Amino acid sequence: MRFDVIIIGGGRAGTEIGAALQKSGINCLIVAEGLSINPSKRTEFAACGGTLLPGDSVVGGGFDGAVLKNVRTENLVGTVLEADFFVLATGKFFSGGLASTMDGIYEPVFGCDVQYEPDREKWVNPDFYADQPFERFGVVTDDYGRVSVNGVTIDNLYAAGEILAGAVDIDGSAALVTTQIMRRK
Amino acid sequence: MKEYDVIIIGGGITGVGTARDCALRGLKTLLVERFDLTNGATGRNHGLLHSGARYAVTDRDSAAECIRENKILKRIASNCVEETEGLFITLPEDDPAYQDKFIRSCREAGINAKAIDPVEALRMEPSVNPTLTGAVKVPDASVDPFRLASANALDASIHGAEILTYHTVVAFVKEGGRVVGVKLRDSRSGEESEVRASVTVNAAGIWGQKIAAMAGAEIRMLPAKGSLLVFGHRVNRMVINRCRKPANADILVPGDVVCVVGTTSDKVPFEECDDMRVTAAEVKLLLEEGCKLAPSLADTRILRAYAGVRPLVAADDDPTGRSTSRGIVLLDHERRDGIPGFISITGGKLTSYRLMGELATDLICKKLNVNKPCRTAQLPLPGSEKKLNPAKRDALAFKAAEGRHGTGILRMDFAGKSEVLCECEHVTRAEIAYAVKYLDVNNLVDLRRRTRIGMGTCQGTFCMGKVAKALAEELGCPDREKEFLEQYARERWKGMAPVCWGDSLREAEYMRKLYRK
Amino acid sequence: MQEKNANASNFEQCLKCSICTAVCPMMEANPHYPGPKQAGPDGERYRIKDPAFYDLTLKYCLNCKRCEVSCPSGVRIGDIIQSARLKYGRSSNPVRDYMLASTDLVGSLASPFAPVVNRVLGMKPVKAVMDGVMGVDSRRTFPAYSGRRFEQWFRSEAACRQLGFRRFISYFHGCYVNYNYPQLGKDLVKLVNACGYGVHLLDREKCCGVALISNGFGNQARKQAETNLKSFRTAVANGETVLTSSSTCTFTMRDEYSNVLGLDNSDVRDSLLLATKWLYDHIENGSIRIAFRKDYHKRIVYHTACHMNKLGWAIYTTSLLRMIPGVELKVIEQKCCGIAGTFGFKKENYPYSQKIGSELFEALRVANPEVVVTECETCKWQIEMSACLPVMNPISILAEAIDEKETIKLNIR
Repeated sequence: MRFDVIIIGGGRAGTEIGAALQKSGINCLIVAEGLSINPSKRTEFAACGGTLLPGDSVVGGGFDGAVLKNVRTENLVGTVLEADFFVLATGKFFSGGLASTMDGIYEPVFGCDVQYEPDREKWVNPDFYADQPFERFGVVTDDYGRVSVNGVTIDNLYAAGEILAGAVDIDGSAALVTTQIMRRK
Repeated sequence: MKEYDVIIIGGGITGVGTARDCALRGLKTLLVERFDLTNGATGRNHGLLHSGARYAVTDRDSAAECIRENKILKRIASNCVEETEGLFITLPEDDPAYQDKFIRSCREAGINAKAIDPVEALRMEPSVNPTLTGAVKVPDASVDPFRLASANALDASIHGAEILTYHTVVAFVKEGGRVVGVKLRDSRSGEESEVRASVTVNAAGIWGQKIAAMAGAEIRMLPAKGSLLVFGHRVNRMVINRCRKPANADILVPGDVVCVVGTTSDKVPFEECDDMRVTAAEVKLLLEEGCKLAPSLADTRILRAYAGVRPLVAADDDPTGRSTSRGIVLLDHERRDGIPGFISITGGKLTSYRLMGELATDLICKKLNVNKPCRTAQLPLPGSEKKLNPAKRDALAFKAAEGRHGTGILRMDFAGKSEVLCECEHVTRAEIAYAVKYLDVNNLVDLRRRTRIGMGTCQGTFCMGKVAKALAEELGCPDREKEFLEQYARERWKGMAPVCWGDSLREAEYMRKLYRK
Repeated sequence: MQEKNANASNFEQCLKCSICTAVCPMMEANPHYPGPKQAGPDGERYRIKDPAFYDLTLKYCLNCKRCEVSCPSGVRIGDIIQSARLKYGRSSNPVRDYMLASTDLVGSLASPFAPVVNRVLGMKPVKAVMDGVMGVDSRRTFPAYSGRRFEQWFRSEAACRQLGFRRFISYFHGCYVNYNYPQLGKDLVKLVNACGYGVHLLDREKCCGVALISNGFGNQARKQAETNLKSFRTAVANGETVLTSSSTCTFTMRDEYSNVLGLDNSDVRDSLLLATKWLYDHIENGSIRIAFRKDYHKRIVYHTACHMNKLGWAIYTTSLLRMIPGVELKVIEQKCCGIAGTFGFKKENYPYSQKIGSELFEALRVANPEVVVTECETCKWQIEMSACLPVMNPISILAEAIDEKETIKLNIR
């Protein structure tokens, strides 16, 4: 199956980007594991012809060098989902955009480069109301919002929303990615 | 100024057990505690009702004492005790000769220890490490320390004792060298007051060293930190121990709907006792050792980590402090230090709390010339008067409440208050109202200890806002809702922080999203 | 050691976000139902401690799996509830439940006497007796039994035609096609044959067992599942994909066999496909080509059945329907129809069932299509009865819409 853009994650950033692109005639697919806390953008996205895969998750991608060619999902066994551009908007820990073990933090879909503190004792401040370091962990992107894997920037894989490292600006990052994709499309 | 026969300092299990005994013997009793009941070691241990088997080889007297008390508590505190039985397992790396010695020692102490085939052990306890080479079944059990302490305090109040939590002893009142009372400070308002009694009892656990010093006596406590991990659900039905010389993290206890592995044991400076934190190294050690008891712990969610301080007492005749006892230490400071009107009861363990209370009360009665026998071994605690049948009830929340409060459920009024507020532990508004009315609740952290509110999988993430509001209403102080919530969030967070990875980190992130300012 | 700080049996991954309770159709309709979170992961912790904590209200779970689709933590909430019901549940009306659950047995008894049975089941006195004595709601329209079973038709009319093919699929037709509506099976044979594939029936086919599972008959369900799995293995060994036309049978055999009944179906799971998915995949990779009739016109609303939503395969069906030039397709928001298989037939559940479905019925009436398309037969009964609109399986639409001769020509190898 072929789309112009495949967005992984149906939360605020993912649906924001999806709805904006779809409205300008760019054919989008959103793969959304779990329901959005705010489903209205999803409805808007579907209403302007976007395709939604609810309750499904991306299990891996096919790369050609620094270009992501396609992704596969858990439910659509045997179906390759191709697109020109991909957006990773899977959120942080709660929504599974970042995963953690006793020893480290990683991005589970593509293994994108993640910025975090290696010493686990420093992930959490023992005072609940203090700044929590783990809330700043996330994937690193270049100036155009593109992620990297093992230090190599992926040309057509963007990240937006809470998955980003540092102080996150959800709407700002969604706007950046939308603009970038529209410019290149 | 109020006058009593006896003032007990410390709201741990020893204090409330002594208070119950004194009240039952007709003494006018006051118990004072600087925070909430069970704030110290009582609330920070395994919740293991020892059969005594663990001490059989090293300390026969303690072992014999444990099995006697074990049998008594199963009778008088049936609602706080779950008769799970225990296994002592031998793993390939353990000395195979130890098991015989262990069984012999148990029998000599009066503990019914029975060697069972490893295959049979796996059938009885499917979670146990399947590589075990030997197993011994003993009458260990699981006990809920919060419930046990609460039931003792409740019974003490029913029999006329006063329980004064959130009051700190700031000084002793002395008359001619004799302790005649204490000066108290309300921990919240700072207001000071004085109370008097013929006998004052130091039952302050590890903090007993400070209390004694304040009265002019010296007790050397040797603080030993013990860290434990709480897992999200029960993986084991029976208590699982290692059949070897007691060591780190070799006991896994099923407690209500969770299980607890522990403990580490490290000497810590006295100053640290008020704020124990579990380190990453301790978590790792507990997990590694715990997985040897029950391998499925490796993929069971860890809810939190906590640490307590064992109130070990240096033997009086050992100035180096190296020789410690797990036995009961009852000090008559009149004879020992020339301070009449003051005694200390310390050492011992959760399992022997009732006996500690009995010994202390015997001494108090002797001093007061009261001749009344101890009845704490015969009279059931409130909630444990009879066994109800929770299976007969329909909704899970009723069954859960009955499991926690036994016959106390008969005093709960569900009319209009059957809404489940804490969904992990199925706590209703009616149970909150009951706890406020009968169980001396001052804030949300207290309420947790009485009801298990927020002790489940989400650690209060889902319910703490609603519960803070409900509690403030039940207490009649709606303006304190925010204070309750903040205190509670900090308390939950402290235990979550050391185990924040995987799903527990996901939960932590969610909790912050909902409640950070 | 402790890689994920998560439980292998999955219920501890629940973070109590409670999104599942917002999508549970039963919770809104029935205040006695504690909802997926409490009935599932929350209750499970207590049931592990002591089975006495089993809550009888778990019987209200529809097993629609909407909770699972909405869960951001991947908790198999519905499976946890189903498993608990199998393990601890007790039916209050075991005879009725067994009759409703034993679709195979009752179907094979009823089919030979179809005209009589259909009349009898439709008669007021009989309905009153079934209502009063059996607890089957009298307001419910029973699906009609067909006089001639699909298997009989296939053996006498279609089997010999299959000899001319070199490539084959196996068809799991299910009880509904066999006893109630053989036309759907005939449509599938027509479509698959036109695409150049022959159709085989399985060695032995039993009811998928969904009704046995939901009515608490785990052992019988397991037995039937094992028979089916054995037949699937034979088919797969012969290089044949097993196609189905019912979303619920498919979902049950792919997911419930392993997750609820504890059977290992991993060797055949990927070869067990809804015909629409199989067809889409083959069209996409160019190995099947379809010509559609120029004179075919239909205004269709697609209703995603709950189990279809769980499978995640609605996209294949809607993609296929969009390929038909004369089809005007509208996909409405996923909602539960409320019948949940045998659930809605029970007297005590009828009001909940209709209340849950009311939103969907209204949405369908507003959309007012010529036909509603869905893969689920019980949704079909419910919608036909309650929204008074005709309902068809997408396979039947495709069979109607293809230019058969032209399609056969395109697929000759």
